[in-house]
Amino acid sequence: MSDGIDRDLFRRIQDRVAIVGIGHLPFAKDLGRPIADTAVEAIQLALADAGLEAEDVDGFSMFEMERTHEISIARRLGVRNLGWWDKVSYGGGAAAATVLHAACAIATGLATTVVCHRARNRGARASRPWAQERGVVSDDKALHVPWGLVRPVDIIGMWAHRHMHEYGTRREHFGNVALAARRHAQRNPHAMMHGRPLDMETYLTGRPIGWPLTLYDCCLETDGALACIVTSRERARDLRQPLVLIHAGAQASGPNPVHLANYNASPALETTATWCARLLWQRSRLGPRDMHCAQIYDAFTPLVVMGLEEYGFCARGDGGPFTEGGRIEIGGALPVLTSGGGLAEAYVHGFNLLLEGVRQIRGTSVNQVPGCQATLVTGAAGVATSALVLRRE
Amino acid sequence: MALGEMLPPEVLPEDYPLPDLDDPVMAPFWAGARAGRLLQQRDRLTGRVCWPPKPLYWKDGQRLEWFEASGRGTVYSYVVAYEPFLPAFARWMPLVLVVVELAEGPRLVGHMVRCAPSEMRIGLPVRVVFRPLSERVVLPVWEPDR
Repeated sequence: MSDGIDRDLFRRIQDRVAIVGIGHLPFAKDLGRPIADTAVEAIQLALADAGLEAEDVDGFSMFEMERTHEISIARRLGVRNLGWWDKVSYGGGAAAATVLHAACAIATGLATTVVCHRARNRGARASRPWAQERGVVSDDKALHVPWGLVRPVDIIGMWAHRHMHEYGTRREHFGNVALAARRHAQRNPHAMMHGRPLDMETYLTGRPIGWPLTLYDCCLETDGALACIVTSRERARDLRQPLVLIHAGAQASGPNPVHLANYNASPALETTATWCARLLWQRSRLGPRDMHCAQIYDAFTPLVVMGLEEYGFCARGDGGPFTEGGRIEIGGALPVLTSGGGLAEAYVHGFNLLLEGVRQIRGTSVNQVPGCQATLVTGAAGVATSALVLRRE
Repeated sequence: MALGEMLPPEVLPEDYPLPDLDDPVMAPFWAGARAGRLLQQRDRLTGRVCWPPKPLYWKDGQRLEWFEASGRGTVYSYVVAYEPFLPAFARWMPLVLVVVELAEGPRLVGHMVRCAPSEMRIGLPVRVVFRPLSERVVLPVWEPDR
């Protein structure tokens, strides 16, 4: 296009913006606090991790679907003047996008130091949208909710069952994901499932929720508050943490988008991750083979099997066999969900996957992949989603 | 074609999530169902069926039309839903939720009636029947095309 706009924006962003601080509150079933309150505490922890003060912050990039206001957080935190802010919605899809937007703002000079965060209070009605469906449902929800296709487990179960039918994927393959996540959680004292290992027999005999998906295919339901701080690579050099560079990022809705229950995007029943991966790798000088581990969004185990395919770690249909032989566990060729993920650490819409990606690049994960140079962090497949590649300098 | 079979009316729980009949994009679909017809939308220019439907003013406003679909298709995928669930649906547990691939191409979400979970398989031929939820709302649902 010849409109004078630089389409290759990623030359200006790639490896020039960094995540310099991370922080989160202890995960819990019920924190019992408003999300603006927990968010501010998590942001303070991330600032302290970076060696920054609230006064250094001039931008906010929030993962938000509950109508928390930037100004509430800015006021409570003590931000001097918010000069840029942004919200990304879509449960599960937005964690990587908040960082991508922050990187754009920093690269274009709209902000210098941006807070990205996600906080959830599952006790609050707005935090679990599916459980609130009653009365009249509108827009894309009217395409599935009135029939009873309401719970995300059932919506994803449709993909999972078709995948099993079409490619011979077995429940054991989904079980490999559940077991990997749970195994990784055993070394993570923050994980909700720390001290509670899982074996294949227990997995296979889990009670059905939305058959073929059963109890251990489902993520946890957790309260949490997490934040990270993003700034330019040059500023990052003066701070205390090892550099975690934002190498590439992407968002995608896919064609014909319906929130989560989109079975008409393409003939092959691809999820939004397919389109997100395409943009991500176009913008990246690294490819799937350069990833030393991957944090693939895991609200339900099949999303990881499909994510391995859609992000290009294996061919379409081979995601099930890819999980075999410990390949996705620590010590394997591509460890996934190294903190335990949504299945075993905490379910906070994938923001914990982002923080774990940062730790892997810093070299400070409890399940550290030796010499980890680059990692993929993804949002939920099925919803309007996003993904990031993080790398070491 | 003959009108689809209308099942006996239900006594609906108050909290049943009913569709918004006032959405102009979907209104023809719901009006069709109320009359025992499964309506779909297509692009006159390309013949392609649009599901989910688009607003009729799309492009130049001349392209889209609603038509009566065959009411037949196959099970593209399905899930058998167990508790915990929304209370409004609890009496139907276990509920067989389906994605039906219509003979015309698009994939519609629905649920099965008069079909045990053990009868289900992907590829099963199905036909539409109509389940009245209220005086105004009728849901196209599916049964095995025996």
